Amino acid sequence: MNETTAGPLAWVNGSDAPEKTEINLGFMALSDCASVVVAATQGFAQPYGLTLNLKRQSSWANLRDKLVSGELDAAHSLYGLVYAVHLGIGGVAPTDMAVLMGLNQNGQSINLSHGLQALGVTSPEALDRHVHQSRTKLTFAQTFPTGTHAMWLYYWLASQGIHPLQDVNSVVVPPPQMLAHLQAGRIDGFCVGEPWCASAVKQNQGFTLATTQTIWPDHPEKVLGCTRAFVEQYPNTARALVMAILEASRFIEDSSENRRSTAKLLSAPEYLDAPLDCIEPRLLGDYADGLGNRWQDPHALRFHAGGEVNVPYLSDGMWFMTQFRRWGLLRDDPDYLGVAREVQQLDVYREAAGAVGVAAEGEDMRSSQLIDGKIWDGSDPTGYARSFKLHAMSESSPLLASR
Amino acid sequence: MLRILLINDTAKKVGRLKAALTEAGFEVIDESGLTIDLPARVETVRPDVILIDTESPGRDVMEQVVLVSRDQPRPIVMFTDEHDPNVMRQAIKSGVSAYIVEGIHAQRLQPILDVAMARFESDQALRAQLQARDQQLAERKRIELAKGMLMKMKHCNEEEAYTLMRRQAMSRQQKLIQVAEQIITMSELLG
Repeated sequence: MNETTAGPLAWVNGSDAPEKTEINLGFMALSDCASVVVAATQGFAQPYGLTLNLKRQSSWANLRDKLVSGELDAAHSLYGLVYAVHLGIGGVAPTDMAVLMGLNQNGQSINLSHGLQALGVTSPEALDRHVHQSRTKLTFAQTFPTGTHAMWLYYWLASQGIHPLQDVNSVVVPPPQMLAHLQAGRIDGFCVGEPWCASAVKQNQGFTLATTQTIWPDHPEKVLGCTRAFVEQYPNTARALVMAILEASRFIEDSSENRRSTAKLLSAPEYLDAPLDCIEPRLLGDYADGLGNRWQDPHALRFHAGGEVNVPYLSDGMWFMTQFRRWGLLRDDPDYLGVAREVQQLDVYREAAGAVGVAAEGEDMRSSQLIDGKIWDGSDPTGYARSFKLHAMSESSPLLASR
Repeated sequence: MLRILLINDTAKKVGRLKAALTEAGFEVIDESGLTIDLPARVETVRPDVILIDTESPGRDVMEQVVLVSRDQPRPIVMFTDEHDPNVMRQAIKSGVSAYIVEGIHAQRLQPILDVAMARFESDQALRAQLQARDQQLAERKRIELAKGMLMKMKHCNEEEAYTLMRRQAMSRQQKLIQVAEQIITMSELLG
């Protein structure tokens, strides 16, 4: 195809032309898939010669299998899932993986049942007391054994003195089934992304006890994941894909009007298929916990923040490995920094960011203080993984993995 | 004889495989309960093979089963837990995901996948086709055209025109190309 128009189309024809122009892009029906959906449907990729075919997935396991087999080229992925595949934890053979960019930060939460509310368990302290005094074990659900929600749930419970693998039961429940199980009393609480938490509050079926941004303000959440083979085989495509999604992320946050229309788009049947009033408020930072409290959250779900959200920091990737180690999913310490350098595609990201005028210079690591007061800056991952009072590093751990 | 646990939790009715598999000489236990109970059911039934609709949300629950079973005498692994993308693609195409007890030979699973493949062949035809590259190029030109018209009509610059079009598209849950077509139609109409 000989297209000779000037301007952005130069990308299509020059030496930077994408090697692969049709991209199958996986996503899960969650509010934090927004930048991927906006990029694909609002013409952000076409100037770079890419067509993005959105493919909604029914489970993380399926999304993972399709990434590894090449049926999907890239996908909206749980941070931990990418690392689990890379390290060979879970139902798929170890495959070299890549994180192209961060898609968002914050915006997940831990909800409890009305049953617990009726018992007065509406604060972390009350939950701690209940867990240690009650004879029946509570059951908490998350969405994937190596996913972000499992890690937030475990970290938060442990920060309150509750051992997530001993003091309570931890189960996996697909997000669309959370409410039904909560209502039926089969689970007592869950950690999941939106719109499911807002939906629980809206339908008066539970309350939000903690948002994940209280665990780690501006924590990493979903990333744009792919195999390393994809980046190596199609470097121009990978860069163009990051450029398109970066521009979409920036567009979403350009104005509150853009955020609102993003919420409307997401609620459509082919994306989230969920009511607008379960998506829009928390997308705008407007939180209600179902206990009568309402606030404007300073660390709500965000997609860009001038690029801060999108940098694939080495320390962000390493953090998930320290938690895998902490909870026995990894039996030995990996080469934290070495693995993160393999997976996090900082070079691709910086090139793409530079090309679309997003600040790309800066550090490879960032420093944060988490809910338990600990500082995580990536400098001593082995020490950090061992620094927790509550952990499951011993051989007897029920979740002990690694063959 | 292989004992198969067939998880039947989606509209696809994986359960209909039961007859075919029984006929082929397998012991099949049909499970249509709640996915949350899967770990307990696997523990009780002790199957050699677990089959689940590839598109079932319950697959993330199976992931937990795989992890928990790792240090047990009969760990459960995914059938495709090997370095061959072709095997994986074939398994995905068959429409069911298979989890097997480690040590069971992959060859013994082949007839099971063949049966599943035959059963779900008709579903394959419904899968979406890839868009043609020509269409992409055409779309880009139509969007450019609409943007130009809008810039003229609203006396705005390129970026403002894009923003207006995108906002309109998102609010109406449409793609940019659809709004572009509406603008083109409208301005043709108004001449």
